This record gives sequence, structure tokens and C-alpha cells, in this order.
Amino acid sequence: MSTLQTRQEPQTRPPSAPPRRRRRTRGPAARAAWSVGLLALPAVVYFVVFNYLPMAGLVVAFKEFDVNLGIFDSPWNGLENFRYFLESGDAARILFNTLFLNVLFLGATLAAGILLAIMLNEIRSTFFKRVSQSVVFFPYFVSPVVISIILQVLLAGATGGGGAVNDAMSVFGLPSVDWYTEPGPWPWILTVVKIWQLGGYLSVIFLAAITGIPEEVYEAGMIDGASRAQMAWRITLPLLKPTAAVLLVLGVGRIFYGDFGTIYAIIGDNGTLFENTDVIDTYVFRALRQLGDFGTTAAIGLFQSVVGFILVVIAVMIQRKYSKETSIL
Amino acid sequence: MSTRKLEPFTIVSIIGVSFAVLACAIPFWMIISGSFTSETKLATTGYSLFPDFDFTAYKMILTGPAVLDAYLASLFITGVGTALSLAVTSGLSWAIARRLPGISRPLTIFSYLPMLFSGGLVPLYLLVTQYLHLQNSYFSVILPLLVMPFLVFVQVSAFRQLPESIFESAKIDGAGELRIFFTIALPLSKPILAVVGLFYAVHYWNDWFMALLFIDDPHKAPLPLVLQNLISNISFTQMLPQLAEAATPVYQLRLALTAVAIGPILLAYPFAQRYFVKGITLGATKG
Repeated sequence: MSTLQTRQEPQTRPPSAPPRRRRRTRGPAARAAWSVGLLALPAVVYFVVFNYLPMAGLVVAFKEFDVNLGIFDSPWNGLENFRYFLESGDAARILFNTLFLNVLFLGATLAAGILLAIMLNEIRSTFFKRVSQSVVFFPYFVSPVVISIILQVLLAGATGGGGAVNDAMSVFGLPSVDWYTEPGPWPWILTVVKIWQLGGYLSVIFLAAITGIPEEVYEAGMIDGASRAQMAWRITLPLLKPTAAVLLVLGVGRIFYGDFGTIYAIIGDNGTLFENTDVIDTYVFRALRQLGDFGTTAAIGLFQSVVGFILVVIAVMIQRKYSKETSIL
Repeated sequence: MSTRKLEPFTIVSIIGVSFAVLACAIPFWMIISGSFTSETKLATTGYSLFPDFDFTAYKMILTGPAVLDAYLASLFITGVGTALSLAVTSGLSWAIARRLPGISRPLTIFSYLPMLFSGGLVPLYLLVTQYLHLQNSYFSVILPLLVMPFLVFVQVSAFRQLPESIFESAKIDGAGELRIFFTIALPLSKPILAVVGLFYAVHYWNDWFMALLFIDDPHKAPLPLVLQNLISNISFTQMLPQLAEAATPVYQLRLALTAVAIGPILLAYPFAQRYFVKGITLGATKG
């Protein structure tokens, strides 16, 4: 920490005063670099402490962690932590759940966002369009905890067997379901939740992309006698591909990271639903919280980061090859 | 354009959008309406579309100190967090946006690399609890969330849209980089600062993961964490039906707390909405 303090010291000087006794900062270009560097310094410190130091902390994955000894003095135990995880019998299930749920979420939310954007684009009344865009965008700003409560209102009610959905189903003569003890439908319930949460947000992105499409393209389509539906299908949809590709790449890069916020807020420690909903991140969290097993959880985290990183690199490479002008990095 | 006749696809779109709007709005209405409905009525239906103006839960919230504590915690985290994040993000974004040789490019890579590879939960947990000793401090929620790379994206592209010529003439007049940043770039960027600040504010207001990890003192828990705890208690009472009839309107209370948690966002949203759209559009098209 002492090195950080000495580097921050010049901040107390008035901004206009040139730093004295520093050879390298004599030239105007060097001085500009120095001042700009100073502006970035707090962020650099943040990244070092909260992002790069934890990366170094991943050595815990290869250690038998002892709180009293700290990260670096705990004894090594090789690949024992990884072996423990892979042999625990949970590995296959949570890996499958993580990938399966993320593929479902990614596909469904992108499709919903595109569909919603195209439909919003059809609306001519500016007022209706603006109001509806605001309303569908709103769930994005709501905490997963709130979503969890909404879901309980819909699926369980106050008594557990009730809820608005069961009431609606009974209108159609369907038997009522005790949703919170039935793991089967949960991947689909969570997918609906993700659509609800992100559909509006993604539609804003896609609508921005649609606005960027030159009007002449549509005029040409109109002259050729295309209907609105044909134009949406043959012009808008293909031209949204680059935007969708970028979002897809970002999503694929995150495919190994379970959606902890949403899933844990909704499922919590409800063990009956783990079969279909437990993902890497919720598993790690529970292992850490309940068992205090730092080594194994760090091993899972490391595994997750490495595979995730490889996937991002592959995804970015594919996307670059596919469309050069929209590369994201 | 207005003379065009209504095509089937347009009609389908209007119906589709209306459906989406209802699907997004009704759940919130059920929460708010339910929070004004008496516990006995809620116990039979579980939700309500028409409130009967029962204020029991809100009275409990206003009289009990627990919710006030949670509100203050959330306000502190959101206020201080947003201010710090905005300051740190602006500085970094400016350094990247200036395209200075030897600084901007390395900084870009340095800031975006954490998006691709992270140490994960365990090292972060150990860092905050064992080394920084921030447990039960509001800063344990603020600091790990300090910089969002996506918002750095947004702010860099906004800074780059400012006309370069102003900075050049300021330089000729003898202004240093820091002066240009504080007296020219920042005042010109008020709209984008609003965008980025609002995103951070929502982020801090809604966060419960960091709070769940690092705050176990019930008096320091922010609103979402209190709600989360209440959920666990409710699922507990669900298993024991006789408790559902107890004097405390647990279920109504939970809905009222939810309404209280969404309240500020709901109130600020009509004014802030266009900024959010602008921010996303900037990030999506310029990133």
C-alpha cells in the first residue's frame, strides 16, 4: 500500500502547477500523459485490487486453504480440489444445467428482443410507441429479489398451492400445480423470467439498430410492392444480424457463468428444485457459505474462468471472421 | 406515410406490443394492489387486482425501525457508490478517450481484460473479508462494484464525440490536461454523466449479492437483502400453515416492502427513461 500512497501524493498539488524536479515530465506531451494518467489512477488501483489481485488469489485452487495461514502460506495440495469436485457427482449435473439454461436464456431473450423491436417499429403513434417502450424496458431495472416475489405471487400465493397462474389454469379446467416442489418446468419458468427481464432492454438495442437502417432500403421495398411483413422479414431481420452477432458473442463468452442473481433470488436453498436449476455459481456460493470449502470452490471458479476465457476468444475469432466491421474488441 | 393503410402485420404488431406491455405492467400492479389488501383476503387469493385500501403493512413499515435502517443503508450505498463510481469512471474514460500514445491503448486492455477473465467468487470473498476487513461495512458493497466496463465503453464513446477543436484551442491558451478535463470536458458531458450515474444508481440500489456475501448485521442490511431474508422467512411460514394466521401480516408486509423497494425507481423512471435509452444506444452502436 505504501507505493500507492506515494503515487497519489501529487494529487494534492493544484492542477495547474507543473510538477517540479521530474525530468520526464518536462515536455508538454509527457506532462499531458502524466496528468491524464493521474485521472485514471483511481480506476487502475480499483482494477488491480478487485480484479487482478483476485486472479493471483486463484492459487487457492491448488491449496488446502487454512484461514489462519492465509492464501499464500497454506500448504499445496496439487489437483486434489479439482479431483474432489469432479468425483463429487455434482459436476456433470451443474455443468449441464449451467450450459443448458444459458443457451435457453440467450436464444429466447435475443429472439424476444428482436421480435419486440420489429413490432415496436411498426407502431406509428409516437406516444403509444414511447410509452410501450418505457413499460417493457422497466423490468430490466428491477432487482432479482423483487422478481422472485412477483413470481411467488404468480405461482404460489400466500398458501403455497394458490397463485394467479393456478387460478387462471383452473378457469380452463386444468389441475393446480405446486410449482415450488416440481423441478420439471423450472428451466422454462426461468426462461420466461429472463425474457420478461431482458426482452425490453434488448428491444431498445435492436430498435436503435433498426433506426440506423437507411430509409431508401424500405422505399425500394415499397416500390417493389413488398408488404410490411415482407419488409420486416426480408430487410429488417437480415440487417439486424450484426447487432445480434455482437450480443451473441458477448452471451457465449458468459455461457459458463450461471445467472446467480436471478437464480439464487428465485430458487434460494429450495433443494427440491436443484436437479434442474443448480448452476455453477449457485453451487459455488452454497459450498462456500455452508461448507466453507475454499479450495474446492476456488478450483471450480478457476475451471469456470479458464473455460469461459477460451470460449470468449473462440467466439470473438469467429465473429471477427464473420463480420469485420462489427468486431467488439 | 400517414396515408398508408393499416396492414395485417401492423395490426399483429400492435396486439403483440400491447400484450408485452400488459405482461410487464400487471405484475407490478399486483404487488402494489396486494400491498394495500388485508392479510386475511390475501391468504385466500394470494394476490389482488383490486386493493381494499388496508394500510396495516405500511403502518408497520413506518413505525418499525428495521425498514428505516434498510432504507438508509440503501440510500448510503446508492448515493456514495454512485458518486465514487462516476468520478472513477469519468477519469478512466477520459484517459482512454484522449488517445494518448502509450497510455490510452494499454488502459483499454487493462480495463476490459477483467470482463474476459476473473478470479471468481472465492478470491474476492477472501480479499474483502480477510485482507481489506470490510465485512459489515457499506463499502464492502460499493467497492467491488465500483467500475462497470460497459459504462466505461459508453462514456468513452461520449467523450470522443466532443469536438476536438475546443480542447486544441484551450491547449493553445495554456490550459493543462486536468484543467481541460474539469472545466471543459465534464461540464460539456452533463447528459452522459446523468446516463452513467443513473445506471450506477440502479445497480447499487438493486444489488443484494455483495450484501449477501459481506453483510450479516441485520441493522446494516440494504433493502434488497431485507426483502430476500423476508422471502426465506415466508417460505418457512408456508411450511407451517398455522403461522400464516398469526397477527403479523407477513405476506402483505412482504408486498409492501417490495413496493417500497421499487418505489424510487418507479418514481424516477419517467424522467430518467430517455437517458437509459440514450446510454444503451451509445454503448451498442459505438462500442
